[in-house]
Amino acid sequence: MKLVTVPPPSGPPRRRPLGRTIGHVGLALTVAFAGLALGAGYWQVLRSADLTREPDNPVVIAAARNVVRGQIVDRDGKVLASNKRDENGEPYRVYADRAFSTVIGYASRQYGTAGLERSWNAELTGVSNGNPIGDILRKFQADPYDPQKVTLGISSALQQAAVKGLGGDRGAVVMIDPKTGEILALASTPTFDASAIANPATQDSGFAAVRDSSAKPLLTRATQGQYVPGSVFKVVTAIAGLGSGRITPATTFPEQPRAETAGLLVSGFRIHEHPGVPARSFNLMTATEWSSNIWFALAGLRTGGDNLAAVAARMGFGAPLAFDLPTSASQVTNPGGGGPGGFTDNVELANASYGQAETLVTPLQMALVAATVANDGTLMKPHLVIATAGRDGARRIGPAEFGRVIGPDEADAIAAAMQGAVESSIGRQFTSGAKVEGIPTAGKSGTAELGGSGAPHSWFIGFAPVDQPRVAIAVIVERGGRGGARAAPLAGDLMTLFFKLAGS
Amino acid sequence: MTAAAPSLPSILGPIRPRARWREAKLLVVVAATILVGSVSLELTRQVAVPGEATGLHPANPYHLAIYLGLLALAHVVLVLSGRRMDQILLPTVAMLGGISLLLMERLPRNLVVQTFGPWKLGLGDVQLAWLILSVSLATGLAVTVRSDRWLRLYKYTWAAAGVALLLATFVLGDEVNGQRLSLTLGPVSGQPSELLKVILVVFLAGYLSENRSLLVEESTKVGPISLPPLPFLAPMVAMWAIALGIVVVQRDLGAALLFFTVFLSLLYVATGRPGYVVVGVLLFLVGAFVMYQLVPNVRVRVDIWLDPFKDRSGSGYQVIQSLYAFARGGLLGTGLGAGLPTVNGNLPIPEVHTDFPLAALGEELGLVGIMAILGLFLVVIQRGLRIAASAADDFRAILAAGLALVIGTQAFIIAAGNLKLIPLTGITLPFISYGGSSLLVNGIIVGLLLALSDRGVEPPPPPRRPGRLARLTGRGQPVAARSARSRVPVRPDEGHPS
Repeated sequence: MKLVTVPPPSGPPRRRPLGRTIGHVGLALTVAFAGLALGAGYWQVLRSADLTREPDNPVVIAAARNVVRGQIVDRDGKVLASNKRDENGEPYRVYADRAFSTVIGYASRQYGTAGLERSWNAELTGVSNGNPIGDILRKFQADPYDPQKVTLGISSALQQAAVKGLGGDRGAVVMIDPKTGEILALASTPTFDASAIANPATQDSGFAAVRDSSAKPLLTRATQGQYVPGSVFKVVTAIAGLGSGRITPATTFPEQPRAETAGLLVSGFRIHEHPGVPARSFNLMTATEWSSNIWFALAGLRTGGDNLAAVAARMGFGAPLAFDLPTSASQVTNPGGGGPGGFTDNVELANASYGQAETLVTPLQMALVAATVANDGTLMKPHLVIATAGRDGARRIGPAEFGRVIGPDEADAIAAAMQGAVESSIGRQFTSGAKVEGIPTAGKSGTAELGGSGAPHSWFIGFAPVDQPRVAIAVIVERGGRGGARAAPLAGDLMTLFFKLAGS
Repeated sequence: MTAAAPSLPSILGPIRPRARWREAKLLVVVAATILVGSVSLELTRQVAVPGEATGLHPANPYHLAIYLGLLALAHVVLVLSGRRMDQILLPTVAMLGGISLLLMERLPRNLVVQTFGPWKLGLGDVQLAWLILSVSLATGLAVTVRSDRWLRLYKYTWAAAGVALLLATFVLGDEVNGQRLSLTLGPVSGQPSELLKVILVVFLAGYLSENRSLLVEESTKVGPISLPPLPFLAPMVAMWAIALGIVVVQRDLGAALLFFTVFLSLLYVATGRPGYVVVGVLLFLVGAFVMYQLVPNVRVRVDIWLDPFKDRSGSGYQVIQSLYAFARGGLLGTGLGAGLPTVNGNLPIPEVHTDFPLAALGEELGLVGIMAILGLFLVVIQRGLRIAASAADDFRAILAAGLALVIGTQAFIIAAGNLKLIPLTGITLPFISYGGSSLLVNGIIVGLLLALSDRGVEPPPPPRRPGRLARLTGRGQPVAARSARSRVPVRPDEGHPS
């Protein structure tokens, strides 16, 4: 502010001119207006993109009614979501495949959006094409909407096989390319009829059927289901132990043989082995083959709760994963415990180390654990959408690193142990059917005891081929029995189908 | 640079035109900008309706011609008056008015409908009428106000009139949505708080310039803290009470905040004592806390401000829609006429033409446009404060500073409310919002500022004896006696520059 300031005359302050204080007030107002400019910048630049995709934003509502949404296709170009027009000429959505309902969700005039239709709404309706410069230029065109065709990394054949394999059971399958983070299949059962919700003629009954179903099909189990992991969590313990340097592949525990029969005494609480495990010393390889609770409990205790929580957090534990769909957080323990890493005490830590206690995981998170081991200890960011394309050009969503979890040598040692768990004569008892014929396969089964009566959850995580992995997988079948009963064979079938489709 | 004075017959005495080239050039820029905006608005309209492309022409040629003609006329009148007045103020305000006109043309015509005999006037028409009156008022005051005696001498009369107006609103005001903002007397209806802000500034200018020396010199020691003299805290407490009264009775948070801020700022301008500001801010905080506890309306506003997303479709709706509008605009905006999608035929922001014009402009002109508008307001403030700083005496300085502060503070309060920086209050954005009271009073402010910027007409009266209050408290000794040893400084800008 340029203000005329008159130098203060000598003498008492009575006649002091006002230029100085007027300047102060002008300065204060200028600062206040600078604050306004910053505020406008915050809303118009920093928050512009996310506010413009809020479902109650009028531009989104208007677009939802009138704009022909972009198609959604699978990785081979097969159309999964397209449009038809009603008698008034207004478009509505049609979905080709029920197996994708829990991934794609729906876009309905009456009931809003869910799934990818919600999270990619701005691109599908053409309000944004994901490119800030392009968004600015688009405003100068006559038709500012540029609906994007969205391409998923999912293969329809794998997705359908996964849903079929889960059958009437509730459960989830996640298949991921460990080198790129592209999701190859993301199945959750039960599925639902998304077309019925999108079609104006059947929307009310279609939505009511889904809303009132006790099976909660709108809950995407693959990303939002929180499950007790059981023995598949031992892979996380191994990653944390080797990653923190507290454990080596050769580590043995002298107290183990005795504990196998008498139970392992931790702070006055006895941890028991599951039946059939011989009373001898184990190392990483043999403990993984036998799925020894005692060895992993001891390994977890030596690793320490803080290391276990910290290394797990590098893979995304502790907070919802950034992903194309809403995700629930996976946890090694309930937040707020007093001990290191948030554990209440050593008893809880020992139990968590083999996947019981307060540990809860999502199937997507466990697929990422398998992918971490498969990709030499480096986790790639999982993503469903691999490309978008519209009038103004296409955009590829390439691989991005989520983070380096452990070194390649540690990852190799765990991979070898997991290969033993699938291929050795001992491991095979627990993981029957997981092996892909002719291809070295690694994995770990899990049997999550839920307490009370009823069958346990059946778990399997794994990857193949062992040296140059191309697919990692996590399977859970709710109340499916032991890991080897349902999850392991389904994983083997799906990986076999993957290699058949890939032509090798 | 006195232009050659042709001998014209005159009503106001001899006419000695004085060229105002800078104002003329700026007005040409303003006219060109508004013309481009109007054409752009029309093009957007044509794109929206396929098959109706009719080429380049302004959205409403008659309105545009009338407004630009009005500006030209105002300029000519100022030139003919021969006064040496500020040349930046009128074009800046004219630009803001032009933006307002474009916005009101663009919003649905039926937001405001007034019928005069055979004519049905819509939003744009009514706003243009008010703009005409406002610019005329500003020009008229700028040309005719050659003495400040009528403001200076009757400050307590003005104060009494202000209080009467306030009480009349308290008692007789029309209650709309729990707020008593407007007053209807016979055929005339208006918002008294708009006029009150000018009366407040006039009174404060008189009061503060008269008692300035005492306010500066005296102090009350409370321990180590040096407070202003107690008797002079009384006006501050009175002002505070009036502001709280406005909140409680009228539910008009915006006016209360505006009045109190302007009061504190002027107190600081006059005294240079930060102590007053500290005491005032403390009073404000106490008042705000008590009001939050006691007045439901205040609590609702503050709660909405803290988290509008808690009740998206209810109380938080307007603020959220305002933020959505800003967000849709982004950096460059959607373009004039291309924003504000309607939902089921309704505008997303119900009171967009009065309370949220900045959100609409933010959507269509983008961050760039918002920066430009904020810049225009800063220019108005800067010109006003510059006029104040070079005024001939304290009364005129405080008056000019107060008028500039009213505009600046009001623009800040409503803009910050739109942007969710402070709780939203329902006051108008000066020169841009729809509304007769607001435009007329802002016209008065501009007219007075222009008149005050002419320092060559009448010298201020000699310093008067200290004010009544000072005499009553016995502190006011005659000036000469108190400062006999000091020379009376002569301001460099006093007297008659030729």
